[in-house]
Amino acid sequence: MPSLKDIKNKIKSVGSTKKITSAMKMVAASKLRRSQEKAEAARPYSSRLEEMLSSLASSGTSGEGVIQLLTGTGKDERYLIVPVTADRGLCGGFNSSINRETFKFVKSLEGEGKSVQLLTVGKKSRDFFNRIMKDKIVESFADFGSTGAGYDIALEISNKLQNFYFDGQFDKCIIVYNKYVSAITQEVTQQQLIPLDISQPKKISNEKDEKDNSIYIYEPDEETILKDLLPKNVSIQIFKVLLESNAGEQGARMAAMDNATRNAGEMIDNLTLVYNRTRQAFITKELIEIISGAESV
Amino acid sequence: MATISFDLVSPEQLLFNDEAGMIIVPGKDGDIGVLPRHSKVLSSLRPGRVMVYGENKNLLKSFFVTRGFVEINPEKCIVLAEGVNEMSDLDKSSIQQQIQELESGASDSSKEELAIAQSKIAALDSTFYEKL
Repeated sequence: MPSLKDIKNKIKSVGSTKKITSAMKMVAASKLRRSQEKAEAARPYSSRLEEMLSSLASSGTSGEGVIQLLTGTGKDERYLIVPVTADRGLCGGFNSSINRETFKFVKSLEGEGKSVQLLTVGKKSRDFFNRIMKDKIVESFADFGSTGAGYDIALEISNKLQNFYFDGQFDKCIIVYNKYVSAITQEVTQQQLIPLDISQPKKISNEKDEKDNSIYIYEPDEETILKDLLPKNVSIQIFKVLLESNAGEQGARMAAMDNATRNAGEMIDNLTLVYNRTRQAFITKELIEIISGAESV
Repeated sequence: MATISFDLVSPEQLLFNDEAGMIIVPGKDGDIGVLPRHSKVLSSLRPGRVMVYGENKNLLKSFFVTRGFVEINPEKCIVLAEGVNEMSDLDKSSIQQQIQELESGASDSSKEELAIAQSKIAALDSTFYEKL
């Protein structure tokens, strides 16, 4: 049986934990709003770019060089997987679900006899894969600071990816990230970055194109624009993923901290009940002792 | 007079979203002046000035963009730019300093940055299009 003092100490420590988690929750909530705004601000750019790209891609060019970002290398042997996690923990299953999914994906690809490499984004995936499959990691990006990754980092990652691609180090690049669905739900999503998967953006722009079918004048010409557009699209896609992941992280942390705060509150209630009962029992015991002492006199 | 709606978007934010009387964008093959009911054009951009005019051909705003694309259709003109500065935010002396630092670099990326910095200076010096 713990003494009164033990229980009191425990209540106090749970109380201070509760203070921390509720502060973290509020911080995450305000950061969530900011990263949502950021993600929103980036949307017009990426959606316009996708529309442009899909109207160009249907013209069906083929060839060497940059165009391979669209057409692929024609092989399906080597994969580069890009797991995107946060730098920091305490956000529920946010990081571990990405790591688990990536691990499963890598194993299944290897089961099919493909070779797999990893480019990790975020401290948590770097640390995780450094422990279990260090030899597969070709590059790691981490430490984005408290505001999350900016466009410059997306650009850096995309340049690195394209260097690897044109060096012939992989045929397909797939990014695994947490898609932001709502403040409390994130969805682990796999998206093929290289070669470009144009089936998605096409769907969005179709309705508009049908109404307005007149032809664009291309300056300088379609192929040159496409060659400019493709590398840019890779960095924009990465940027979008980083923003979504950042918003998701804040959302996940907010939910996790909300839970923790609630649990701490419950724990304090229970402990207070035990404390009061123990105290009451103690008083009753003393009273009985006094009364029985008085009776015996 | 009719107006055309003009959007200037960078990856990080929407910088301009309003009606304009005319826009001049630095197309890869030369500057393009966009008036309302322009025919449909898709062009890539070179580093240079994007000038936005009001209905009376008064200069509303001018931006410097480094690379990007423009999509023009009769009602709308959209500039997707990678790096955007307002012309008034550019500081000549710091760019010149940057040029001096970059001139010693030999890598491809520093050459590219040098070209951009030089076109910034050129854009600052030129008074073209400022009065129509």
